[in-house]
Amino acid sequence: MARLTLERVSFWYPATERPALRDASLAVAPGEVVALVGNVGAGASTLLLVAADLAPRVVGGIIKGTVDFRGRGNGEGGRGIVLPTPWTQLSGMAFTVRDEVAFGPANLGWPRERIAGAVDRALDALGIGALAARDPATLSGGELQRVVIAGIVAMEPALVLLDEPTAELDPEGAGLVWRLVRALAGDGCSVVVATSDLNALPEVAHRIVWMEDGAVRRIGDPALLAENALCEAGLATTVADVWRTARLGAPYPLTVAQAEERWRQ
Amino acid sequence: MSRRHPFTLLALVAALTALAWILPAPAGGLGTAAAALALAAAAGPRRVLVPALVTAAPFWLFLLLLHDVPSTIAIGLRLTTMIASVVWVGALLPPGRLVEAMVAAGWGVTAAYLFAAALSAVPLLKARAQRIVDAQRCRGLSPRGGLGRRLRALRALALPLVLSVLHEVDERALALETRGFVPGARRTPLAPPRDGTGERAARWLLLVACGAALAWRIAWRG
Repeated sequence: MARLTLERVSFWYPATERPALRDASLAVAPGEVVALVGNVGAGASTLLLVAADLAPRVVGGIIKGTVDFRGRGNGEGGRGIVLPTPWTQLSGMAFTVRDEVAFGPANLGWPRERIAGAVDRALDALGIGALAARDPATLSGGELQRVVIAGIVAMEPALVLLDEPTAELDPEGAGLVWRLVRALAGDGCSVVVATSDLNALPEVAHRIVWMEDGAVRRIGDPALLAENALCEAGLATTVADVWRTARLGAPYPLTVAQAEERWRQ
Repeated sequence: MSRRHPFTLLALVAALTALAWILPAPAGGLGTAAAALALAAAAGPRRVLVPALVTAAPFWLFLLLLHDVPSTIAIGLRLTTMIASVVWVGALLPPGRLVEAMVAAGWGVTAAYLFAAALSAVPLLKARAQRIVDAQRCRGLSPRGGLGRRLRALRALALPLVLSVLHEVDERALALETRGFVPGARRTPLAPPRDGTGERAARWLLLVACGAALAWRIAWRG
């Protein structure tokens, strides 16, 4: 049974006539990683806000269609979203990184021992244990991004929604986040991620959703990222794009390993 | 002193301020100002006492321009009490500790949030303002020079700062919502400060002292 189902969902932001999301349908199973890819204005971020129950409830606007989430509200067993601007995601109520990460679990009313355990695990998972005593206001963008992700992960949500989670990160930090996404899925958590880090997706995502102009254009396995149509839209992996540009023949490989294998053949 | 419960520290500040205005001048103000300055000196002469005196100095100057000497002394001592005690508590009390105390005492998360967010916003806004100044400098704006030039630079700083803060309010609302910060949430205090019987008694004592001073002052005047 799907954990999150969107059926023909359209959404209009306040005071707009054109929908940011048009007839979008999607189902996400427990333990599944679904990646939303698309160019600017494709509607991926809006889909995440709708899935997080923030649009229209907090954002405002008009929604049509059905959003069905099998879980509780926010946090434990519910939904958690990481938005693309980490400096706006700080609680404003914590004066150390540890307290910032603990902000969500504390709001859920967990006992202090449980909060401490969840915070330690989240700090370890994001590799930011050494920052625990730092003031969040003094962190770099990449460090902040990890803290914000840790704050959501610590709440143990059943559905994690990530909007450009690696935008502020260096390659090492990005690799860490993608390993975390796989680990979350391994624990049964559903993950929906909107990202431009296309090269990471073949190793991370179970399914790819190609969005264009607010609509879901195609859904498929990661091999979708090596198809001609996505190459033309600038949404293929670098390896697939290079292979295609070099006219080496379809089907294009997705990753360096696949390219090497094809080349040897 | 910094280990005292945040409410006790605040009660002391409130009591000193109240007594400075209730007790007859100049003796009352002299006593409370001496107490506040002593606290500031004990917390750190350079870190607390000097900033308190520097902050109070312009008020003395303005008072002297507006009033005669006795009135200047009377009001100046009261203001010095207020300023020194507020600077003292600001230096001694980490905002996070106060928020924890508020949550532990059963205050609503919204009230505690308003307080903490206001305090934590200062370094964030300072950092952002600096980034905007740097960006505007890269584009040729000089914040130095004559008054007109400085005013133009201020406009180029203030507008993007205000707009970015307004934009941030929307996004922060989303972030707080997704992190379980909703009205009525039963938040767990992470490290509630210890509030012993002695401290609670001390707070009551301060309240009673202020009440008694007020009653005495009214009766004495009568």
